[in-house]
Amino acid sequence: MSRARITSVAALAGLCLLVGTVFTAVPTLFARGENRGPETIVPPAAVLWQTELPDTHPPFDSNACLLCHTDTDETIIFPSGEELSVQVDAAELAASVHGSMAASPLACQECHQPPNNYLYPHPPVTEERLRDWEIGQSNACERCHVQPHLTSHPGPESEKPVVCTDCHGGHEVQPAASWHTGAHVENCTSCHEQQGVEVTAAEATAVIQAGLFAAQQTDNAYCLSCHSQPNQTMTFANGDVVSITIDEAGLHDSVHGASNEWDELLCTDCHQDYTFPHEPVSDVSARQYSLNQNNLCQRCHEDQFAKALTSVHSAALMEGNLDAALCTDCHSAHDMPVPNEPRSRINETCRQCHSSIFDEYAHSVHGEALIEEANPDVPSCVNCHGVHDIQDPTTPEFRINSPNLCADCHADKELMAQYDISTDVFATYVADFHGTTALLFAHEGQEGAQLNAAVCYDCHGIHNIKSPDDPDAGIKANLLETCQQCHPNATENFPDSWTSHYKPSLQNNTLVYLVELFYSIVIPVTVAFFGFLVVVDVYGRVRRRGK
Amino acid sequence: MTAKEKQQQYERFRIGARIEHIILLVSFTVLAVTGLPQRYAQNELAQSMILAMGGIETVRMIHRYAAFLLVLGSVYHLFTSTYRLYVRRERNRMMPDLKDAQDLVGYVKYNVGLQEEHPKMRKFNFGEKLEFWAVVWGTAVMAITGFMLWNPIATTNVLPGSIIPAAKAAHSYEALLAVISIVIWHFYNVMIKHWNPSMWTGKLPRHQMAQEHAIELERLESGETPWPEVPAPILRRRRIIFTVTSVIVGSIILVVLVWAFTFEETALITVVPTREVFVPLATAVP
Repeated sequence: MSRARITSVAALAGLCLLVGTVFTAVPTLFARGENRGPETIVPPAAVLWQTELPDTHPPFDSNACLLCHTDTDETIIFPSGEELSVQVDAAELAASVHGSMAASPLACQECHQPPNNYLYPHPPVTEERLRDWEIGQSNACERCHVQPHLTSHPGPESEKPVVCTDCHGGHEVQPAASWHTGAHVENCTSCHEQQGVEVTAAEATAVIQAGLFAAQQTDNAYCLSCHSQPNQTMTFANGDVVSITIDEAGLHDSVHGASNEWDELLCTDCHQDYTFPHEPVSDVSARQYSLNQNNLCQRCHEDQFAKALTSVHSAALMEGNLDAALCTDCHSAHDMPVPNEPRSRINETCRQCHSSIFDEYAHSVHGEALIEEANPDVPSCVNCHGVHDIQDPTTPEFRINSPNLCADCHADKELMAQYDISTDVFATYVADFHGTTALLFAHEGQEGAQLNAAVCYDCHGIHNIKSPDDPDAGIKANLLETCQQCHPNATENFPDSWTSHYKPSLQNNTLVYLVELFYSIVIPVTVAFFGFLVVVDVYGRVRRRGK
Repeated sequence: MTAKEKQQQYERFRIGARIEHIILLVSFTVLAVTGLPQRYAQNELAQSMILAMGGIETVRMIHRYAAFLLVLGSVYHLFTSTYRLYVRRERNRMMPDLKDAQDLVGYVKYNVGLQEEHPKMRKFNFGEKLEFWAVVWGTAVMAITGFMLWNPIATTNVLPGSIIPAAKAAHSYEALLAVISIVIWHFYNVMIKHWNPSMWTGKLPRHQMAQEHAIELERLESGETPWPEVPAPILRRRRIIFTVTSVIVGSIILVVLVWAFTFEETALITVVPTREVFVPLATAVP
C-alpha cells in the first residue's frame, strides 16, 4: 500500500471522527491490524483484497441507517427520471460476506462514500443517471479490494464498463469461494443473454472453476478459452474474413510453444497491448493487419529481421507489392514449425509462392535427391538464395558470383567423393574462356556490368539441373543446342571447342595435351639455350677485361 | 684505332625497316601487356593490371587492335621483302646456313677461351637470324591461333572443334616463349651488352660492326654499296607488276582483316533469364 493511500485513508478516518452526529466513535477502524485477511481459495495470482484488513471492526452501529432503510417506499429519482428504491433487505445484508454475521462486518458508510454525501438529511444525488451512480458506488470496493481480479469484462476505461456490483451485487455480496460452486452464474448468463452472447451456466461455471477470472491476461489459456473454440472468424472493413480460431496443438508444438526447448511465448508477447474486450482492429484488410504485425518479430529476431530488410521481398514490399513475403508468410504465425526440419520443408515454404520454380526443382538432380531420399547434401532453396537476406537472382552481380555458389559444393573434395563427382569442374571452368572471363568480371566488381560469358547455370540449367549424362535432359544429349543459346551461329564442330571440364590428357583434350607437352619441352630448352649464350658472352667479357 | 674511327657509322637499316621495327615493338609490347595478364588471370597482380587497363572487355579490345597492327606490320614486311627480293633482286641474306652454325660454335669457343679470334660474321649474324626466324614463327603461330580464338565459330565451320582449346593453349604458351626470348636474348644483345642504335639511327658504329659484322664491315670499306642499285627502266617495269599484284593481294588481306574485326560475332551478349518467378500455389493466406 502506498504512503499516499495510507495518508488519505487516515484522513478519511479522521473525518469520520468529526461527523459524530451520525456515527459513534470509530477510533481505530483503519488502524493497522496485526493479522492478515481470511484464507482464500482464489489463486494467488490475484490479490483480491488488501492484506491489512482487520479481522474485526470496532463496535459500530448501522442501526441508524437501517432504522429508515429497512421499511420504506422511498425512491431516489435521478435527473434522468430513473428511480431507485432505497429499501435494504436487512436479512440479506446480514447474511452477506460484509454483513453483521460475517467475520468482518462492515458499516453502511464504509461503502456509501464519501460519508458527507450520506449525512442526514441526505443531499440530492449529483449523478445524472442511475448507471453513473452505480459505477461511482463500485469504486468504493477498491478501498479494500485494492487489486480486484482481472476479468475479461470491460473495465472502467470502457464506454460500457462492467463494474464489481454488476456481478457481485450490492448488499447481498457473497464470498468469492461461493462462485466456484456455481452458485451465482445466473448473473453471468442473464447479462450475457442481454448482450446477445449465449453463455450457458455450465460454461460460465467451468470458466470460473478454471480460475480464469483470477488469471492474468497474459496467460495463454486465458486467450485460448475463447480462441480455441472452432469456427471463430473476424471480418475486416474490406470484407476479408479470417479465422481467429487458434489450433491449440499447433501452438503448443510450434517453436514458440510449450513443447519446445526454447522459452514459451505468451499470446501477449506478440499481440501486445491487447485488452478484453478487444478494441476494434483499425486495419482495413487482413493483409494490412499482417503488415502492421510484422515488426513484432524484430523484438526478438533482430538479426534475421535486419537481414530480411535487405531482401528482395522487402524491396518488393517497398515498391508497393503488398503480397511480398512477410515473416509470417514463410514461418506462419501460430503453428510455426522449425523451418528446416525436415529440410524438404524449406522448399515447401518457398513453393507457396514460387510453385512453378519448385516444380522445376522437384525434377532436378538436386530436388529429387532431397525430396525422395532426404539427402542432406544437395542444396535446398536457401543454400543458393540465402535465408533472410534473399537477393534478386536476376542482377548482374548475382550472375557473376553464381559460379562460386556451385563451387561451394562442387569444389569440395570430401563432399563430392561420396557421389563420385569430379571436383575439377570449377578449376577447369576458370581455366577455360568462360570461367576466366567470369573470374575477371568478379574481380572488377563493376556495378551493373553484365557478364557475357557462360556461367554454370547457362549450360547446366538453374532449377532444372540434371545430371550431364541424363539421356533426356542432360546437356550432353544435345550440347550444340546449349551452345547455340549464346552462339546462335555455332555449327556441328563447335561444341568440341569446349573442354568439358576435363583436364587435358591423352584421353581427353588430346590436342591441348600435346600442345602443352610441346611447349613444356620447347620453352625450357629455349630458355636454357639463350641463357647459355648470354652467360657465355658475359663470361667472355669478364675474362677479356681481366686480361 | 682512333676514337674517330671507332665512332664512324655504317649504313645498316633503311627507314622502312626501322618503321617496321617500331610497328613490331609497339604491337608486341601492347600484346604482351594485355595478353599475359589474361594468361595469368587467377593471379592478383594480373587482375589488378587488367583492372588498371579498363577491365577485361577493354583489355581484349586493345589486344585485338594491337593484333591488327601486328598483322598489318607483318603483311607490310611480306610486301617489302617481296619487293626487295623479286623487284630489286637483292640477295637473300636472312636464310640460315652452315656458316651460322660454325659462327655459333666459334662465338662460344671465343668466349670460353678456346679460340683467339671472334668469328667474322656477315650483315645478319647467327643470333640475329635466330631472332628473325623466331619472330616469323612466333607471329605466324600467334596470328593463326589468335584468329581462331577470335573467330571460333568461323574456325569450327571448317576445322574440328578441338582445335580451339589447342589454339588457346598454343597461343598462351607461345606468348610466354616469345616474351622470354625477347627479354633474355634481344634485350641482352641490343641494350644490356651494349646500346645498339641501328634500329633508331639506321647506322651502327664501327666497333660494333667490327665485332658483330666483320665481313659486312670489310665489304662496305671495300667500297661496295649497302644495297644494290637496279637500272631505272628495268625497275620501272617490275614495279608496275609488283604494284598491281600487291594492291590486289593487299586489298584481299585488308578485307579479310576488317571483316574478321568487325562482322564476326563470337557470342551474343548473354541475356540474363527473366521469367515468371511468382506463381503461387493458391491465393496467399493473409
